[in-house]
Amino acid sequence: MKKYKVIFQPSGRRGEIEEGKTILEAAQALGVDIEALCGGKKVCGKCKVRIEEGFFEKDNIQSGMEHLSPLTEDEEKHIKPEDGPGIRLACAAEIHGDLKVFVPERSRAGKQVVRKAAKELSIKLDPAVKKYNVELPEPSLHDLTTGDMERVLKFLEEDYGLKGVSFDYEALKDLQDALRKGEWKITVSVWMDKEIVKVEPGFVEPSYGLAVDIGTTTVVGYLCDMNTGKVINTESMMNPQVPYGEDVMSRITYAMTNPDGLEKMQRAIIDGLNEIIERVSADLRTNGKNGGSAIVDMTVVFNTAMHHIFLGFNPEYIGRSPFIPAVQHSLNLKARDLGLKINPGSYVHILPIEAGFVGADNVGVLIAEEPYNQDEIVLIIDIGTNGELLLGNRERICSTSCATGPAFEGAQIKFGMRAAPGAIEKVKIDPETKECMYKVIGKADWHTHLQEVNAKGICGSGIIDAVAEMFKAGIIDRSGKFNMDLETPRVRRGTDGKPEYVLAWADETSIGTDITITQADVRALQLAKGALYAGAKLMMKKMGIEKLDRVVLAGAFGSYIDRESALTLGMFPDCDIEKVYAVGNAAGDGARMALLNRGKRTEADEKARFVEFMEIAVEPEFEKEFMMAMHIPHMKDKFPNLKALLEKKKVPVTVKG
Amino acid sequence: MVSDEKRKEILERLKNGVIQYDEDAVKEAAQEAIEIGMDANEAIFDGLVTGMEEVGRLFEAQEYFVPELLMCADALYAGLDILKPHVKQMDLGVKGSVVIGTVEGDVHDIGKNIVKMMFDVAGFDVYDLGRDVPLDKFVEEQLKTDSELVCLSAMMTTTMVGMQKVINQLREKNPNVKIMIGGAPVSKELADKWGADGYAPDANNALKEAINMISALKKMREEAEANKAKS
Repeated sequence: MKKYKVIFQPSGRRGEIEEGKTILEAAQALGVDIEALCGGKKVCGKCKVRIEEGFFEKDNIQSGMEHLSPLTEDEEKHIKPEDGPGIRLACAAEIHGDLKVFVPERSRAGKQVVRKAAKELSIKLDPAVKKYNVELPEPSLHDLTTGDMERVLKFLEEDYGLKGVSFDYEALKDLQDALRKGEWKITVSVWMDKEIVKVEPGFVEPSYGLAVDIGTTTVVGYLCDMNTGKVINTESMMNPQVPYGEDVMSRITYAMTNPDGLEKMQRAIIDGLNEIIERVSADLRTNGKNGGSAIVDMTVVFNTAMHHIFLGFNPEYIGRSPFIPAVQHSLNLKARDLGLKINPGSYVHILPIEAGFVGADNVGVLIAEEPYNQDEIVLIIDIGTNGELLLGNRERICSTSCATGPAFEGAQIKFGMRAAPGAIEKVKIDPETKECMYKVIGKADWHTHLQEVNAKGICGSGIIDAVAEMFKAGIIDRSGKFNMDLETPRVRRGTDGKPEYVLAWADETSIGTDITITQADVRALQLAKGALYAGAKLMMKKMGIEKLDRVVLAGAFGSYIDRESALTLGMFPDCDIEKVYAVGNAAGDGARMALLNRGKRTEADEKARFVEFMEIAVEPEFEKEFMMAMHIPHMKDKFPNLKALLEKKKVPVTVKG
Repeated sequence: MVSDEKRKEILERLKNGVIQYDEDAVKEAAQEAIEIGMDANEAIFDGLVTGMEEVGRLFEAQEYFVPELLMCADALYAGLDILKPHVKQMDLGVKGSVVIGTVEGDVHDIGKNIVKMMFDVAGFDVYDLGRDVPLDKFVEEQLKTDSELVCLSAMMTTTMVGMQKVINQLREKNPNVKIMIGGAPVSKELADKWGADGYAPDANNALKEAINMISALKKMREEAEANKAKS
């Protein structure tokens, strides 16, 4: 039987599928969840998927509609023109060639857990856009030569001391009607005391802003009440650029090798943001206007590649050494120029870039954590698809970027999955019996207390836990190699003859097979954590820093990582466990701060320049440091804090103190 | 004349020193080999290389990982440094010289260094251009050195596409040159599409390819020895 390559997006799951199977069958075989309420009887129309067209360099796959059986009548009933091109029903379309299939958000059965939830910020409210009430006397023939605009500007100067304010063209077009409709009372939104970006009839108090964090994999929008600073709504989605490449590099390559690649990806992210705007502002809808028009200010953070693609800059030159970005400074661009459906006259504030690979998202982390206001030496690790490090204190701060690969996010791991219901997120292993217990997202208790476990895979925090626990239980040694002499059925050789540890037996899972941590999974994690450690270590060396006072774990799932597991693995050099903090999505926090306080914008521009970028990968010592850092926790470095911690907990492995 | 027993012992020590990444043990054994007048070629091929073959096997079985591999490489180089000055010109019927480097825009070179090591072991003249090498430089260097093999490495998808350019240019100037490409984003299909003669997607495969090549050389050497003995 002939087999074809099938790749599912955005999960990234892939495999060889026999000719003639349906896409739904392929999805089930590869562990991809597609909603199929009717059980594949072609009646519910829930399983719509999009076929990606073209040649994808990274995956080396030529995908297209012609690789499927012809469109059926059942499908014609369900597929509407507004679904866009390339849509098929997964239960009806049979596979006759290589395919790249995108499963849209609404067709996915297991919804992703938003792990970018916003935390409370304490920051002085001083937004860039402020609302002013304007009340004019009704004009009469005596005011012969004074226009509406001039009268509003005069009022702003006399009553609020705002001089030299200008008018956005779109806002100006609304002015006449607003004044008359509001019986000469209006509310103007003034940007940076400089420009009126919105005019509303009557006195309007509520003011809304949107802070956006565009990650390589996840996009989140935080709708904020600008009068209280509170987040009133959060919406997230998978980055709609994922079909064009799972990581930054393959997206850059897509832009380089496809003539309209950049435009397509830019379109995708703008459309995606407009969907977030629509969802997040659904409750703000008034007078038939879309809710988005109530949003008067917006800030955005992202990595450099997402930044360039979003703005339509050629990303080619940031994809290769020496990684030069088109622009570093912050930008203020009109929402309407970008096609974003917030108030059209408003500006979108793009936070600055630090250097090449260290983007505005890292600036967000920087202004949220403010290491430049502290005496303590702090290492901030922002873990995403890439790892960004900030190190220093008020004297000096350096940054670097580490190629960790996606292992921390559950990709390239045999049973890896994103943080969604069914994912194993916490693991404990008994050092004596080598038995384990674990927690699954969506279930309140450890699996040993559950009737039905239904584990489906393992997410980033679960993998970190599992490998750290395997080390503590002596299942793997410090080089990461399995100990095959243990008397337990959980340690065994897989069908490929390679060692593995059984985390969940088949009857505890919803996929019908044992969930294991393989030797290759351990290796992938060693590479990822080794890159982080080596980056931190080399920065410390170059800056003459001996030890860390504090370690901050940031990033979408930063707050879900068990800090003891992170320290045990040696994701960073030794530090007092009480001084290891998880702060969650600090990049998003930074975007919100810049939204609520305009001083933070100036600070971001200044501090982005204060931070010195270090290119670590070209250091002659890198290879050696990287190599030594792949051991658990490290081949040579001492870990006195970890040693004490493990001794206190009577863990039967020793580390160098 | 060195006794068979002594020779075997030294070869064993060289081999195990490499496998156990014990630099000092390798150095000591290599030094002794020279002192007692052992054939340096034999010490390299039946000692060091045999050890590295076993390392390759362990790596493939995932028992060894990159750190172990690099430490083994260090041990191997320690031995090679001592033995190489004493190597007699080998008549293997192949002249070996190779141009190797990581392509423009890419600064990752661990994989390339592992492959380079195997060429060093095999007695090739290695022209290592390093990393972030301008594309034209590969062609230039190949013409200058008249190398029969060019190895291109890239770790990033963005820089990988540069390889195709180099391949085209090389083929234009010198249709007979053999080209190997390697690195994480490289696949067999791409190698075929671009007209490369060989490929290795990662250090693991690079090592295997390189070891296969050396093993082939080793066999040729044994045959040559056998023929010599006959005549």
